[in-house]
Amino acid sequence: MTDTSSLGANAPTDTTVAENADRPQTTDRHEDTPDSWTDYAFEGEPKLSVDGLDVHYGSDQALDDISIEIPEQSVTALIGPSGCGKSTFLRCLNRMNDRIRAAEVDGTVTFEGQDIYQDGLDLVELRKRVGMVFQAPNPFPKSIRDNIAYGPRKHGTVQTDLLAKLTGRDDSDQEDEIVERSLRQAAIWEEVNDRLDDNALGLSGGQQQRLCIARCLAVDPEVILMDEPASALDPIATAKIEDLIEELAEEYTVVIVTHNMQQAARISDQTAVFLTGGRLVEYGETDQVFENPKSQRVEDYITGKFG
Amino acid sequence: MSYTAESELVVDNTSTAERLASAVVGLGLVTFVFSLVGVTQVVTAETTILGISLYDFLAGGLLLMGVGTVSLGIGSRTGVFNTSPDATPGAVTAALFGLGAFALAGLVASQSLGLGTVGWLLGATLVGGVTFAGVALAPEDIGSTLPPGVAAIGVAVAILAGIITPAFAWEPEGFSATLTGSMAIPLLLAASTLVTMWGGAKAYEGYGSKGRQTAAYLLVGINAVSIIAVLVALLLFIASKGIGPAFEGFSLVPFEWPFVTNGYSFRPEVVNGVFPAIMGTIWLVIGAVITGVPVAVAAAIFLTEYAEQGRFVGAVEIATNGLWSTPSVVYGLFGYAFLIPRLGGTTSLISGMLVLGFMLMPLCLITSREAIKAVPDEYRDASAALGVSRWETIRSVVLPAAMPGILTGVILGVGRIAGETAPILLVMAGGLRDDAPNVLGSFEFISSPPFVANDALLESAPALPYQLYATITAGVSAENAAAFGWATAFVLLVVVLSFYALGIASRLYFRRRLNA
Amino acid sequence: MTELPLFDLETRLGRLSDVDRDIGSLAAGGAGCLFATFVLFVLNSTLAVIPLIGFLAVTGYGWYAHQAETARALTFLATASTILILGLITVYVFVEALPVLQRMGVRLFGFTEPVEVFGVTLIPSVESYWSTSQHVYSLIPMIWGTFVTTLIATAIAAPLGIAAALFLAEIAPPLVRETVKPGVEILAGIPSIVYGYLGFVVLNTFLYENLEMANLGSLFLVGLVIGLMALPTVVSVADDALTSVPDAMRDGAVAMGLTEWQTMKSITLPAALSGVSAAVLLGIGRAVGETMAATVILGHSQVLPDPLQDVFDNTETLTSLIASQYGNANGLHMNALFTAGVVLFVTVLVLSIAARRIELRMDRKLGGGQ
Ligand SMILES: Nc1ncnc2c1ncn2[C@@H]1O[C@H](COP(=O)(O)OP(=O)(O)O)[C@@H](O)[C@H]1O
Ligand SMILES: [Mg+2]
Repeated sequence: MTDTSSLGANAPTDTTVAENADRPQTTDRHEDTPDSWTDYAFEGEPKLSVDGLDVHYGSDQALDDISIEIPEQSVTALIGPSGCGKSTFLRCLNRMNDRIRAAEVDGTVTFEGQDIYQDGLDLVELRKRVGMVFQAPNPFPKSIRDNIAYGPRKHGTVQTDLLAKLTGRDDSDQEDEIVERSLRQAAIWEEVNDRLDDNALGLSGGQQQRLCIARCLAVDPEVILMDEPASALDPIATAKIEDLIEELAEEYTVVIVTHNMQQAARISDQTAVFLTGGRLVEYGETDQVFENPKSQRVEDYITGKFG
Repeated sequence: MSYTAESELVVDNTSTAERLASAVVGLGLVTFVFSLVGVTQVVTAETTILGISLYDFLAGGLLLMGVGTVSLGIGSRTGVFNTSPDATPGAVTAALFGLGAFALAGLVASQSLGLGTVGWLLGATLVGGVTFAGVALAPEDIGSTLPPGVAAIGVAVAILAGIITPAFAWEPEGFSATLTGSMAIPLLLAASTLVTMWGGAKAYEGYGSKGRQTAAYLLVGINAVSIIAVLVALLLFIASKGIGPAFEGFSLVPFEWPFVTNGYSFRPEVVNGVFPAIMGTIWLVIGAVITGVPVAVAAAIFLTEYAEQGRFVGAVEIATNGLWSTPSVVYGLFGYAFLIPRLGGTTSLISGMLVLGFMLMPLCLITSREAIKAVPDEYRDASAALGVSRWETIRSVVLPAAMPGILTGVILGVGRIAGETAPILLVMAGGLRDDAPNVLGSFEFISSPPFVANDALLESAPALPYQLYATITAGVSAENAAAFGWATAFVLLVVVLSFYALGIASRLYFRRRLNA
Repeated sequence: MTELPLFDLETRLGRLSDVDRDIGSLAAGGAGCLFATFVLFVLNSTLAVIPLIGFLAVTGYGWYAHQAETARALTFLATASTILILGLITVYVFVEALPVLQRMGVRLFGFTEPVEVFGVTLIPSVESYWSTSQHVYSLIPMIWGTFVTTLIATAIAAPLGIAAALFLAEIAPPLVRETVKPGVEILAGIPSIVYGYLGFVVLNTFLYENLEMANLGSLFLVGLVIGLMALPTVVSVADDALTSVPDAMRDGAVAMGLTEWQTMKSITLPAALSGVSAAVLLGIGRAVGETMAATVILGHSQVLPDPLQDVFDNTETLTSLIASQYGNANGLHMNALFTAGVVLFVTVLVLSIAARRIELRMDRKLGGGQ
């Protein structure tokens, strides 16, 4: 765990940032995956841009020289066999890897043009803007309402405590609005609006996951990272989450890890394929990657020959 | 609404404010440590630094801290420092400051101004209420720096100006104690330093949620370090007092350690020792282990391997919890009422063994049960798949796998009972003695039931913790009596804590091996 | 596992004898011998040794001939003995207390003034609280002493202990945690008589001199010492509770942009509440039952402090009453000490059951529908 307090300008972080100059110029470092396979041109500025990202867990390398640019307001799918570093990559994008002591991150990740691994970066602010939904639903052991309102309350967006009530700054109405809006966006409002004060742990797995998405939306992030959000769910709940993701892309930038190829093909605008060894092998428009992959290995993987 | 505008993703805050805040916190840490030492009167007002009285010196530091903190708050409000405070410091902060102000104002009103009950209550409530409202309505930067800063300046001025001196004495009504200046000054210094550091730490991070985190971490860290420091200081103190007398006359070649090998002989020329007590404790532990452990392990086996959740298991769990939490002195009463009349009618070693065995049983039962539960079911399945019967499986697979855990529990349990005084007070007694109980040499066969007799078991025997108690009841006013007590305490600590250290080390070792 | 309900000994024995007559008669013989041993021992007869030899013989033969069944029967006996021992403690402490319970009735909790509600006397007054010559025994001063010391000890151990546990479990770097945690666990083993000795020799005089107290020994000091003594236990148990909260829960909060302090305050600590409150109740139980520190520090006077809130006065606690008076007590006086034992026993039992209840309920609540 890194305490977020160590975000001061000269505070040490346990992730070291390699100087870009130190990195060998790797135009074609991996002959089997030429850069042209992962170069994906799109209009506009990238929301997130990753350059030469390496991650080690102790002596194990989990990501090997990843460079990728992620466009705004779209769904980017990350696919690949299990253990190839998809989760690790995702966690680099909002620096959740800081919480894993063994993880060592080298390379640059920029969010809206700002290096998120630079000194003085405000982790709290970063994670407010880059939200995350986890593989296993992890609602807080609180009521449904408190789960959703938790972020806005803690961030001071709404104030509903005793002091606020005493001083007439009570934002209960606004909080109700945020709760309803988030739950509606996450397509769970109809199912829970009559029991907002029940414990969230009493919901079904699919409902819990949508609650977690709503909880993330309530903070009003710009990017939503999702790590196999539907892997623990039944087909009906999965379908609901998929519909939801497509809708979210109109407003948010969604990066989603999945090992379900059909899912990636259905919902994403662009797809990145990771293969064993923590390598990004191919990245491009989803239709192109699935119908006409440039790499033989990706084709084998997609057609189910391995992985 | 959010008080802060859209925050910057990257904050550059290597600033004057940050340096000032670190200075406040750093100065605070030093002042706090000295104040705490001052509470123990190891350093007093007579202690001087550079010719200045220690307390004046510390008060000077506090004054600087107070001024620094106030400037941090004002600087942030006037925009000199780049910060991102919340709209308010929060209800809890306001309430705590309100309470503090109430107490301070009450003391000043009743003690310095001499107002009556109604007067000081009114005054204190007024000041407390105004502080609460002021802090609650103030923006975070002002609300969390001005009150501690002003309080710090106030306390510092009161000490520097001689309003509170070591000669100060406040006798609160209805209490038979007096708060003297020599205690009040370091306590006041420590308290106001803590609060001021809190304000400074918040300012360091520019307030907001990160400021609150830094400030909270500071206090929580100081708390943890202080607890450890106090407990370790306590151990060192006992060691420093006890090592000397415990090693009186000690030599390696030829090996001589009178304190450990001698008895208590009341002869002035011989070093008094705790040999009988050590032997007594060893016998007690052996007896308790023999009575308590097999039963505990057997019950743990039954509960994990044979029994199914039901009313019986429920009752056993309640009984185990009950036995586990029963105060040791109640075990003593039980032994006094049940065992003593049936085992020779007087306090005796065997009663002590049995009572401690009864106490050891629930401790070992709980840990053994955990240990057996932790054996993976695959072991049992694999064994059962080979056609091995359940008892054979338990004996040859489950128990060996659980043994480290069981052993750890036994060692920790033994550590706990070896230091128990209250039960043996009632059932074993046995004060300062010259001779150790000779249990092995006292077995005799007799013709009438119960056919065996052992006088050593049926007599009272000394034990280390009881010996320490006996030292107290015999009076420690004599110089060497106190020294003997410290040495006994030291030996007892070494014995008991060794058991604990051993048990914890073995637990860590086996846990690591299991995870590896 | 298809087993018959185990509390149903009748059926068990019946089933065993169906399986094997030999085992059945062995079990009956063994049980009979053991029962006879117990009865004779309770009757205080040295003859108890004879059925004991019989029991050992039966067990020995059983172990040799039918090891599995014998082992199972023995483990069952061991399990049942926990209930037996708790039962014996309850019975013997109560029986010894009975004469004074009968004699004093509700006046066991009597004050020097009658306790009246709307003119109806609930508890008649006692002439004095504790008089061995007149055989008047009211436990009120001792209950007050135990209450005050426990309150002070809890006020110290609970907040400081939980804060220190937060530091260890959530803030400290792993290296610090891994060295300090075992250290704290070892410190939890310091015997109470050592604290008592320190309190008696050093702290008593320190407070006497520096607080210009009227007497050596005070409830305040006892509470302080017990609080310090309970701290490592509270820290260690609360730390265990905190570390058992799944990381996924913390991640959920941190990924929303919460600081770790906000996360531990509003997610981790509430989620660990059952374990943490169990830690506190454990500490309280220890404080209530703590004997030696109170016995050696206090000046032993069986009256209420005057005025009541004077924590710097000497009183007595339930435990120190027993430990300081058993030596010269006999007859009714000794029975009176057992009443203190009864009150202690019942209090701590209720606390432990309450802790268990809280834990179960919290677990159920947190477990939710899963
Ligand atoms: N906390 C960790 N500590 C050590 N190694 C890890 C950790 N998390 C992941 N790894 C390793 O990093 C590699 C990539 O893991 P991950 O990113 O979880 O892959 P994916 O999500 O694609 O299945 C794996 O080999 C895994 O064993
Ligand atoms: Mg993964």
